[in-house]
Amino acid sequence: MAVFFQSLISGILIGGVYALIGIGLTIIFGVMRIINFAHGDLLMVGMYLTYFLFTLLHIDPFVSIIVTIPLMFLYGAFLQKFFINRVLDALPQNQILLTIGLGLVMSNTVMLAFTSDYRILTTTYSSSSFNVFGLSISTPLLISFAITIVITAILYWFLYRTDTGQAIRATAQDRGAAQLMGINVKRMSIIAFGLGASLAGTAGALIAPTYYIFPQVGSVFTLKAFVITVLGGMGSIVGATLGGVLIGIVESVGGVYIGSGWKDVIVFVVFLLVLLFKPSGLLGTSKD
Amino acid sequence: MRLFMHNMRGMSVFPVLLTVAAAAGLFLLPNFVESTYALHIMILIFISVIMGTGWNILGGYTGQYSVGHAAYFGIGAYTTLILMQYHHIAPWYGAWVGVVVAVAIALVVGSICFRLRGPYFTLASIAVAEIFRATALNLRLTNGAEGILITDIPPFKIGNTVITDFMSKVPFYYMGLVTLIIAIIVTRMVQNSKLGYYFQAIREDQDAAHSLGINPTAYKNAALAISVVFTSLAGSLYALYVGFIDPSTVLALDLSVHIVMICIIGGIGTIWGPAIGAVILVPFSEALRSNMIAQALIDSGLISENSRIGSFLKDQLSHAHVLIYGILLVIVILYMPDGILGFARKLLTKRRKETI
Repeated sequence: MAVFFQSLISGILIGGVYALIGIGLTIIFGVMRIINFAHGDLLMVGMYLTYFLFTLLHIDPFVSIIVTIPLMFLYGAFLQKFFINRVLDALPQNQILLTIGLGLVMSNTVMLAFTSDYRILTTTYSSSSFNVFGLSISTPLLISFAITIVITAILYWFLYRTDTGQAIRATAQDRGAAQLMGINVKRMSIIAFGLGASLAGTAGALIAPTYYIFPQVGSVFTLKAFVITVLGGMGSIVGATLGGVLIGIVESVGGVYIGSGWKDVIVFVVFLLVLLFKPSGLLGTSKD
Repeated sequence: MRLFMHNMRGMSVFPVLLTVAAAAGLFLLPNFVESTYALHIMILIFISVIMGTGWNILGGYTGQYSVGHAAYFGIGAYTTLILMQYHHIAPWYGAWVGVVVAVAIALVVGSICFRLRGPYFTLASIAVAEIFRATALNLRLTNGAEGILITDIPPFKIGNTVITDFMSKVPFYYMGLVTLIIAIIVTRMVQNSKLGYYFQAIREDQDAAHSLGINPTAYKNAALAISVVFTSLAGSLYALYVGFIDPSTVLALDLSVHIVMICIIGGIGTIWGPAIGAVILVPFSEALRSNMIAQALIDSGLISENSRIGSFLKDQLSHAHVLIYGILLVIVILYMPDGILGFARKLLTKRRKETI
């Protein structure tokens, strides 16, 4: 039983980070109806940013998100304005391929610049943990989870309480109607992609102390982001939050009981089942 | 010129003659070309054309953008090699078993996934391919992450005459060429048949097609089945030719993307699109990979070998082939969304209008 609770807790802690990845993807999909295949690569860029801020400037990874968030926002806004924006009305396969192409460019530029070596970011607390009720909790995971909660809270406040946030949600609900109501849809798209990129980058920063850092790390997370968003309902922010935590738990508990090799199979089977029986996701209400 | 323009519109003799001449040229090529490297590139191009042409039936003509075709490529490759290595069944039978297995699995997958549309279908196709990749990594039958290495291919005999012993690249060349020609003929037949019109009706408007009495799921499955036959054959051919397969090469997401890219770059939903895409992409990425371009730049005297740029290019350009691949993809999507064939066609019509 202790093993079960142990894996449950690790699952929830890592699930917080997954939620950030999922929310980013779901906002982008909601506003632009584009599936961002470069999402994991944005996360990878965030990881490298954090790594170099730490090794070169000695900024703690959890502090460095103050730098990572705005930088990644600008980067995302740039990608939207100069690339994504031009295919908004294109065929869906072209949109998908454009983001795949952007992802390839990112991961291979990083590989060219910093080689494909695995890097590890070791902080003083990287492997430290403490005990609560006989369960050991990893310190970096707990800190990153706490930060995740704060960021998610701010994000919810932004999306539900501010004018810009509501405009973004309105655009996601109905692009045409939002435009008729005088919302600057183009600007909302730029902000949405910026937000998505900064959330992915932040997630990268948060897992940097506990994960291997290498140029191809993105594809794993891109696939995970798809599973999470579909699970929660494409475009649903609450859904992505829950989906992230759920996938964290399934992976962690599944890894313990079924073996780490098969846990990916389970995750994707669950993904397919959700796609088939509730394509709008567990919480989604979207029309398509 | 006028005659040519006229013929472009309907069924005509000229393009057919040209195609036959090109095919004949390709058949005779190994007699003149000694270089094994040239044959190697040709075989890689053939494999890419076969899988691209296969995907094109489903993605191009029927409008179902599968980004999971590596699954069927992998099934073909694995079935052929497992039967050959562990059960001593000759690959020219094994490849057909592979086709049967791949089509059977595709029909199960299709009848489930074709209920989904647009991006949801794309995501489901990725999930299916990932399930196969993760399964192949964990099964003993597929030898997990180690993959399968061919020890030797039995000679191909008819009666007692040995046709080939697979010692050179030439038999692979002809296997690829014949499969490729069949794939292109099938595409042409599909395009001009009732079946093909049903496919295109589904692509243009599924609901309208449905209301006219076309069963979308049934015809999508038909398109998938045809598509998978060639994807699986390409997989078998690849496995035999390269002699080694593992989940991260024949079942990877990268491969699925590569298949789609061949079609997009050439021109989706056209007979020759995949061929043009492969002819451009494969040699280009091989040239980058083998450092030919860096060497050529140095040899041409544009960049000195000892300069910083020269040594950087020499060390790094071969690693950068995927980067350039990515840049190419972005450029094509932004500036030639209908592929090179569509772009050329647009230029042609523009010029024609200007001359009139």
